[in-house]
Amino acid sequence: MTGDLVFEIGTEELPASSVVPAAEALRTQWQSLAQEARIAFGTVATHGTPRRLALLVQGVADRASDVEERGEGPWLSVAFDAAGKPTRAAEAFAKKFGLEVSQLGREKTPKGERLVAARTLQGGRSMDLLPGLLARLIAAVPFRKSMRWGSEDVTFARPVRWILSVYDGEVVPVKFGDAPCGGVTYGHRFLSPGAVEVRKCSEYLEKLRAAKVLADTAERRARVVAEIDRVAAELGGRRVADDELVDTITGLVEWPQGVPGAFDAGALDMPREVLVSEMRGHQKYASVETADGRLLPHFVAVANTPVKDTAVSRRGYERVLRARLADARYFFDEDRKRPLASRVEELARVTFLEGLGSVFDKEVRIAGLADAVDRLRGVEPSPLLAGVAALCKADLTTGMVGEFPELQGVMGREYARHAGEPEQVAQAVFEHYLPRGASDALPAGDLGASVGLADRFDTLAGLFALGRVPTGAADPYGLRRACIGAIRVILAKGWRLPLSRVVDAALDRHAALFKPSEAPKDPKAKKKPAPDRAQSKAQLLEFFRGRLKALWTEDHPADVVEAVLAAGFEDMADAQRRLQAVSALKGRPDFLPLAVAFGRASNIIEKQAKDLVPGPVDEGLLTEPAEKALHAAVAQTHAAVEKSVNTGDYTGALRVLAELRPAVDAVFDQVLVMADDPAVKQNRLRLVRSVQQLFAPIADFARIQVKF
Amino acid sequence: MPDSSATPQTFVDLILRLQAYWAGRGCAILQGYDQEVGAGTMNPATFLRVLGPEPWNVGYVEPSRRPADGRFGENPNRLYQHHQFQVILKPSPRDVQDLYLDSLASIGIRCDDHDLRFVEDDWESPTLGAWGLGWEVWCDGMEITQFTYFQQAGGFECRPVSAELTYGLERIAMYLQNRDNIYDMTFAPGLTYRDMFHQNEVEMSRYSMRESDAQQLFALFSSYEAECKRLLGVGLPLPAYDYCLKCSHSFNNLDARGAISVTERAGYIGRVRALARGCAEGFLESRKALGFPLLRGGAAANGSLQ
Repeated sequence: MTGDLVFEIGTEELPASSVVPAAEALRTQWQSLAQEARIAFGTVATHGTPRRLALLVQGVADRASDVEERGEGPWLSVAFDAAGKPTRAAEAFAKKFGLEVSQLGREKTPKGERLVAARTLQGGRSMDLLPGLLARLIAAVPFRKSMRWGSEDVTFARPVRWILSVYDGEVVPVKFGDAPCGGVTYGHRFLSPGAVEVRKCSEYLEKLRAAKVLADTAERRARVVAEIDRVAAELGGRRVADDELVDTITGLVEWPQGVPGAFDAGALDMPREVLVSEMRGHQKYASVETADGRLLPHFVAVANTPVKDTAVSRRGYERVLRARLADARYFFDEDRKRPLASRVEELARVTFLEGLGSVFDKEVRIAGLADAVDRLRGVEPSPLLAGVAALCKADLTTGMVGEFPELQGVMGREYARHAGEPEQVAQAVFEHYLPRGASDALPAGDLGASVGLADRFDTLAGLFALGRVPTGAADPYGLRRACIGAIRVILAKGWRLPLSRVVDAALDRHAALFKPSEAPKDPKAKKKPAPDRAQSKAQLLEFFRGRLKALWTEDHPADVVEAVLAAGFEDMADAQRRLQAVSALKGRPDFLPLAVAFGRASNIIEKQAKDLVPGPVDEGLLTEPAEKALHAAVAQTHAAVEKSVNTGDYTGALRVLAELRPAVDAVFDQVLVMADDPAVKQNRLRLVRSVQQLFAPIADFARIQVKF
Repeated sequence: MPDSSATPQTFVDLILRLQAYWAGRGCAILQGYDQEVGAGTMNPATFLRVLGPEPWNVGYVEPSRRPADGRFGENPNRLYQHHQFQVILKPSPRDVQDLYLDSLASIGIRCDDHDLRFVEDDWESPTLGAWGLGWEVWCDGMEITQFTYFQQAGGFECRPVSAELTYGLERIAMYLQNRDNIYDMTFAPGLTYRDMFHQNEVEMSRYSMRESDAQQLFALFSSYEAECKRLLGVGLPLPAYDYCLKCSHSFNNLDARGAISVTERAGYIGRVRALARGCAEGFLESRKALGFPLLRGGAAANGSLQ
């Protein structure tokens, strides 16, 4: 027999961003708790709103499943004494299973005969198991921050005010703090506050919809979008796309209702980003633009309630925005009273990070490092580069960035233009922050890219020098993001940067900027000495390896990524080309000859590793036609591969390598590599090794799994 | 705007209605503390009383000084001194949100007229060693109340947990009276907010930002700190807390004057926090020595609302 489990945790308003992850955690925690309790179940659905987290499970078995328990006991020689009476060992074994010795079985094995025990553990009633299980389930939902309330000891993101808990039509009593548990949930706080009885999974969403709650997150999100679109269209524009804002709003409302609003068009001379930030940041309003992307002096607020007269709340929304835009106007005008360059000195008073000096110190390091980056990639640094490096953080002391930290770079660009800096410089001040996230644009210009790389390498080198290497999920300084950002810029630009030399240059600047007495020390770990230079470098290179692996395995098979990384990633752009070539070939029939040629060579080299003395092949010792042919083919292939590798044509190189297979096969079929004459054997091993080495500049093919 | 008969038309009326509402729900109505504080939270009726097991339900207006927010009476939204209506409900009752929403109705803010929202807000006071979780309450996009479940004060766990409701009186009054400029708001019949406080704003801003004697303030900070510690040593946590508040206000004045660098800042905050912690500890001990008197008898009525 099975039944529906309808379970809902009713809460005071949860943090908007926690609703979706908490609902998801409810699912995974249920799955593991139910499995542990051996309660079988069917389909699982979870839902969340600001005031509830729901778990709906169909086909929940009414009993936990039975388990057969079996144990192997003592040998008969130990289990019974000479008189055939059970020994204490036999009795202890039986007792462990709650049995008498006479109830035990016997089993014959090649080693002899032994006692065995078997019993069935009967599963309990779900109705008896669920109260404890569901109380544990509530406690198992993780939140960034949890709290207590009233005189209760339990914790949750916000107080739990009711529990709806029904199995197969009956209330499952669940105890969690002072929350009453029963067969009812509650509708919208204002529109339909009464109790709503729910008995089956299938009625949950429908009954709540009738009580003015869209409990299904996807449905509610779609309604939020539809409401914004509807109102934006009424305003003669369209919604400015902003998934994050829509997610936040979805976490703030149970019954979304779009309300139009407007602001003074005079504010439109401020940068678009400022206006959008003012609207979305504090107020959670959606911005509206024309079909060709110009911002309109309108917004859409999404209320949680259809109020009697939207004019009232509209006036409220507009009033708050008016005050905020007046603040922004004040900052915008004040900030522009001074040229951006005049702010650079002030950065000396802004701490970058304890132990790593001020932001001014950082800018000095960035300037030197950006210059080094350009030289390392083989170009003469632009005369504008030093200017970009000096200005890139100058907007941090402006009022606007103080108010909206996310506008760093945007305001720098705006104020650089205002101060008459060259457009390339202004653009680079903005672009050096790109990409700001996984889906952000990359810098278009080289100036911004160089300075951005210098900025990221400086941060990474500084923190690694302090020993603050991210561990586990913790990454308080955003080093993973900085590293991935650097990698993406390098790969997108296709720059041939020697990674370890850039790392060296970055570490040099940290060492050079501090006298030995003030060498970077981690103030938080006084007893733990900072790692030495070589260790920091090794850790940082390993960190890049890890990020490359994470980035590449999004699109390529993990074994190919490992194989390519094993052949080196000093030149990441080059490594990426190798990856693309190998990855494209793998899974196609052409890959087979390559894998076979490499595999046959590798197997024997691996087995004979201890006998092999690396060295050139002695042509004079080659006797068989097949080995002579292979030697000639290797020389030819080597030249061709080298030519392809030098031009970055790895697909071409792989094609040439694949052609080697017949010659390799011929040697293995016709020639005895493990010849009796040690000199001949050594020479043949070297020949085989020369085949294996042809592959080395591309990838470590031994790491690629091949299915024949 | 809500219909005018239902809404308080003056700042004074707003205060009276909130006092009447919470008095009617079993709260003792107190007055603001007779010392400079940055917020109603610093009044000992909140900071010290949220500690320990005794029930405590109070409401009071707190004139709150924030020297760094002073704008010489020129900004229509920012003030050196604003007023909070502070409510402490300890332990936080199960229906605390409903009680709060009813209080809004009593000042004419009804849920069928306005978009009312509880928006996540984590509250933390590094100077008091206190933190809590709750919301900023929005009325049509405007924050009108800070709603916090106190988890810790002075570094001590709050058991039971108090609910703290802090109404921003000026903001609410401006909204109810439909004024864009604070100084145009009606304070009492025939008196504007300008009449009552503009000169105070100008002078206090000038003092805090330009005329204060930083050397003297640094010296005061140190002697207040020493006095606080001395008083803690002789078992007088309440007088000690007065000196802790004086330290905090001296620090705020120095901060507004720009006399404390970013690096020094954390050090001063840490010193005030250490004092606050000492006061919290001393207060807990003294209440314990008294046998937590409010756990008994008549106080229980105060302890359970309704």
